[in-house]
Amino acid sequence: MMEGLRIRRIDPFRLEIERKPPMRTRGIVYANSKIERSLEKDIVLQQVANVACLPGIVGPSLAMPDIHWGYGFPIGGVAAFSARDGIISPGGVGYDINCGIRCISTRLGLDEVKPVLDELLTGLFRNVPAGVGSINKGFQVGKKEFREVLTKGALWAVKKGFADRDDLDAHEESGCIEGADPDMVSERAVERGLPQLGTLGSGNHFLELDVVDDIMDEETANRFGLFAGQVVVLVHTGSRGLGHQVCDDYVHSMLVSLRRFGIELPDRQLACAPVGSPEGKAYLGAMAAAANFAFANRDLITLVVRETFERQFNRSSERLGMRLLYDCCHNIAKMEKVTHEGSPITVCIHRKGATRAFPPGDPRLPERYRQTGQPVLVPGDMGRMSYILAGQAGSRETFYSACHGAGRLLSRRQATKISRGRSILDELRKKDIHAMAASRSTLAEEIPEAYKDVSDVVDTITGAGIARPVARLRPVAMMKG
Amino acid sequence: MTYRFIDHTADIGIRVASADIRGLFEEAARALVEIMGARSSGGSRQERISVHGLDQVDILVRWLQELLYLIEVRDLRITQVEIVEIGETDLEALVTGTVSPTPLKAEIKAVTYHNLEIQEVDNNLEATIIFDT
Repeated sequence: MMEGLRIRRIDPFRLEIERKPPMRTRGIVYANSKIERSLEKDIVLQQVANVACLPGIVGPSLAMPDIHWGYGFPIGGVAAFSARDGIISPGGVGYDINCGIRCISTRLGLDEVKPVLDELLTGLFRNVPAGVGSINKGFQVGKKEFREVLTKGALWAVKKGFADRDDLDAHEESGCIEGADPDMVSERAVERGLPQLGTLGSGNHFLELDVVDDIMDEETANRFGLFAGQVVVLVHTGSRGLGHQVCDDYVHSMLVSLRRFGIELPDRQLACAPVGSPEGKAYLGAMAAAANFAFANRDLITLVVRETFERQFNRSSERLGMRLLYDCCHNIAKMEKVTHEGSPITVCIHRKGATRAFPPGDPRLPERYRQTGQPVLVPGDMGRMSYILAGQAGSRETFYSACHGAGRLLSRRQATKISRGRSILDELRKKDIHAMAASRSTLAEEIPEAYKDVSDVVDTITGAGIARPVARLRPVAMMKG
Repeated sequence: MTYRFIDHTADIGIRVASADIRGLFEEAARALVEIMGARSSGGSRQERISVHGLDQVDILVRWLQELLYLIEVRDLRITQVEIVEIGETDLEALVTGTVSPTPLKAEIKAVTYHNLEIQEVDNNLEATIIFDT
């Protein structure tokens, strides 16, 4: 532990943690004054500083405004490491590899959906497997085919006819992280993940129907296919038990080899290895496989969502205008090209609870988003708004990264305590939000007060020039695991 | 109860205490079983668990990971845990229970190493463990 970190406000949207040995660089936390007051300073700032101690870090150790206490890296942490002499850390990606969120747009207005909302939600709840340890009884793949899922991700889903080819480029990395190596995924990880393909899981994962409540950037909204009063679907889940096990396996294997690499750590959860070492390469291959599982997982859930809508409205999903607006990863490490101190370099960028946010004009964006910047999806909590943003030029300073959500404020236990004796379903209903959950305790843990106000997070990201708000979404129906 | 919850914003934290190392590992296991809702009142299925690690902190994490696997993937609901042998880097344990896919109360994604230490406090051994949920 480093005693007495010195914090200084740089401007209304940025705090600096001064560099102090053994830190190799400074820390930058994106926070307006309201966010700053809610920070668990002694813990999260220490975690930002710990990341700054890791070998080969390029630029500052960063934290997005939805930062909160993680393990090892903070949640909301972003750090880039040199491909030449930097590290990769499984704990810096997290257990839920490629946990992510997608938005599926429709052509339906709320007036059309509202009269059948309960029926529609019941249908989704029946059809999408969710809850603790949920498995997909109705759909199982064999081990051989599973390798295809791990290697190809969304491309597998398209080949099997489970996803639309036109939606491929609306996935980050077109739904397939290169270099995935199923041989680097342990038997146990396969055993945990295989039955869970196409399941939502539990905890903060959700499926939600929202209405576009406010358009903040008309032109971009048009390009994103968004209009006021429109119903959209958000799906938030990741790589389930497969990713959890991959992380377990590699945190351990890297702990074992730390001494060989001469790396000393302030916290074992930061276990890491040089990007180019056999351990680093093996993890990159396994992580990409888990990330591809997560893309396919969200694609299969989307298929069920589409089918449920088709049955409900007796129209094809094409006629309902159901298209993938975007699918973002928010727990991932990727090799990306950035410009640092005027020179182009390749870094291994860790985003743990952070979203990639390419600015307008970035050649890595698909044609339809090249002028607007990348869609960045920022879900709020159960009772409050979510936002769709677009990447801005300022994201260069964050290695093209933005926030990923509201950020927890209360622990699950505190949330459960203050929700005792309350009917969360009734409270949501009073706000005109229909909700169904596989477990009552999940609802209690996920009450709106447990999270920061996502508007403060978005204000900070906008003020810092990282992304701009395009549309605000209001939840109307949700299912939780 | 020889474990108590500590507040952790995103996840679940527990502090476990016991007079000796064997007890500490058993208490940590009971805590995990209870949090997940994986306790069974009876059963004769026995699983022998062997864990090898870097040191006692590492084998504590790996021991709990083994239990998590048995509960989540093998549907083991647990009656009893017993540490048969424990050294600095190795552990042998016996887990008794029954195989039954009863719904679990909470999903624990993983047992983390975050700031994990085994410390002596007031003649007791103590560990604070963060589970990713």
